[in-house]
Amino acid sequence: MNIIECNNLTHYYGDRCIYENLNFSVEQGKIVGLLGKNGTGKTTTINILNGFLKPQSGNCKIFGEDSSSLSPEAKSKIGLLIEGHVQYAFMNIEQIEKYYSAFFPDWKREAYYELMSKLKVTPKQKLSKMSCGQRSQVALGLILAQNPELLILDDFSMGLDPGYRLLFVDYLKEYATAENKTVFVTSHIIQDMERLIDELIILDYGKILVQESVGEFMETHKSYESLEKAFIGLTGKY
Amino acid sequence: MFKSVLYKEWIKTKWYVIGICVVSILLHAYMFMKLGRSIRFAGMVHLWDVIINKDQFIFREIKLFPLISGIVLGIAQFVPEIYQKRLKLALHLPLPSFRIISWNVLYGAITLALVYVISIAILITYIRLYFAIEFVESAFLTILPWYLAGIVSYFLVAWICLEPRWNRRIINTIISIPILCTYMITALPAAYSSCVILILSIAIVVMFFVYISVIRFKDGK
Repeated sequence: MNIIECNNLTHYYGDRCIYENLNFSVEQGKIVGLLGKNGTGKTTTINILNGFLKPQSGNCKIFGEDSSSLSPEAKSKIGLLIEGHVQYAFMNIEQIEKYYSAFFPDWKREAYYELMSKLKVTPKQKLSKMSCGQRSQVALGLILAQNPELLILDDFSMGLDPGYRLLFVDYLKEYATAENKTVFVTSHIIQDMERLIDELIILDYGKILVQESVGEFMETHKSYESLEKAFIGLTGKY
Repeated sequence: MFKSVLYKEWIKTKWYVIGICVVSILLHAYMFMKLGRSIRFAGMVHLWDVIINKDQFIFREIKLFPLISGIVLGIAQFVPEIYQKRLKLALHLPLPSFRIISWNVLYGAITLALVYVISIAILITYIRLYFAIEFVESAFLTILPWYLAGIVSYFLVAWICLEPRWNRRIINTIISIPILCTYMITALPAAYSSCVILILSIAIVVMFFVYISVIRFKDGK
């Protein structure tokens, strides 16, 4: 069963074509990585998926609903991490948990506080006074507490040092595998993706270059030592 | 869920709301002391002469308070939402988008309305101590457009801030200025008494402008 289905997606910013007739799907329980260099349309795709951008043509369906008009029920099943781990910086750890908990009936408070216990922060500490790495964990903790069926994570590695990237990836992988969650994730740091994803979609300017499982991809490109090197080999250095 | 929205908005804006309340108290205290001083030194007869013959409103100091407080609260509430496109967080909540936005603006409108109603009540009560009921009615009609301007300015700031494009924000600002000027044309007593319905109607129409910005934001303009 496909959780996400995008058909003939075409989008332009002015005269600049981001992509034309893009087709892809994400199966339930899979962790799919959308990879691509800067400006290939990763965030554009995330924005279309969440109904924050109307594509020129084509459509995306999530849980069978058009992404431009998702019902509250569908939205409650989607955990969204906005690029840069954006959250309400004027709130503290307790306040933000209290705020979001009212919107989700299946809220798992303990999942949030379990992750918070790994950080060296106090419950009254404001998000604006935290490091980028700590804020990323708060954003992830809120998504885990929401207990969504689908997690959409836009450039989760942005601004994180290797330690926090590892913590984020390991925690997410363990959670998604154990709970059979579907994850759609973008990043331009390919090393992180290698540890996390089951399938990959490589976007180049205007089109999809590859869409297959990581295993198949590495088999096809076995001359490369790693996913990162295969990605560079395929898309070029610059 | 509405309580939760109020909770978030209160955390975000509480210092601004407290600041508005403090300014309101200080402004009223100043006006009352000034009036008391005028009564003591110039006498009630002179004051009546100023009010009746010179057609002066003696509490003109209040004129800009609602307008500025509406703008301040609007900025305090909606600039953080547009910074890093945080509005996406609100629009992603499991509620219809217009409902969540309505709750957000309702918080600001209710907060301002509460502050304004208390301010107006204090002023009217004080005026009633010294003046006839006719003057109280006239004073109410004089300050009503200014307080409406406060509510209107709040909704206009929400419309401007939530607009996703800078060039449209400038256009929205240019449109907003004459709308607000409509409420601030004069300080003559009860000058707006014949067009209360008109200024109320403009205020009601302006309340819906914010949804234009939200639609544009959702379309990724």
